Amino acid sequence: MINESIDRIAFQMISNVGSAKSLVMEALYAAKEGNFTLAEEKLAQAKEYFVEGHKVHATLIQKEAAGDKVDFSLLFMHAEDQLISTETINELVKEMIELYKRIDN
Amino acid sequence: MKRILLACSAGMSTSLLVSKMEEAAKAKGIDAEIWAVAQDKAPEEMKRADVLLIGPQMRFMKKKFAVTAEEVGIPLDVIDPVAYGRIDGQAVLDKALKLIGD
Repeated sequence: MINESIDRIAFQMISNVGSAKSLVMEALYAAKEGNFTLAEEKLAQAKEYFVEGHKVHATLIQKEAAGDKVDFSLLFMHAEDQLISTETINELVKEMIELYKRIDN
Repeated sequence: MKRILLACSAGMSTSLLVSKMEEAAKAKGIDAEIWAVAQDKAPEEMKRADVLLIGPQMRFMKKKFAVTAEEVGIPLDVIDPVAYGRIDGQAVLDKALKLIGD
């Protein structure tokens, strides 16, 4: 039962932060084509998905902080990995879009 | 026999989805081979698949996969993030069968 619920949490995280990652990459592709309006839209959508993924993650962190031990799961670790990589990609892509803007001007 | 290929990062999360889809196929009496691979293996594996489904985290690679999909003549699409988040094997299986076209 516990594993079932942690699997579901992991999947909700991967689904949300994964969608965010895809949108971030699509924002970069749009900027590459010079479409900065679309790039900004994609980044805004990415943020919404990322926040959702983060919320799900936070529920587990709070659970553990409250003394309710969370069992280790490789899938959950994979979900955290996706969260962190999305966060990194997001920060870098924002800077790269600024670079494309500078090149285009 | 329906051959359904799933692609995601590392092929890890979709592995669990594969078991859920297999359960759904079995319950419906559908003869299906369902397997998951990491994104870099997908183009090679597509040669022996009837359909490719991509995890939402790999949606940005759809264009790249679409080139190979056209070459080998199979449909592809991105798994709906909601169905994915719920590990809804039934919904993803239905989508795959719809894409194959029967």
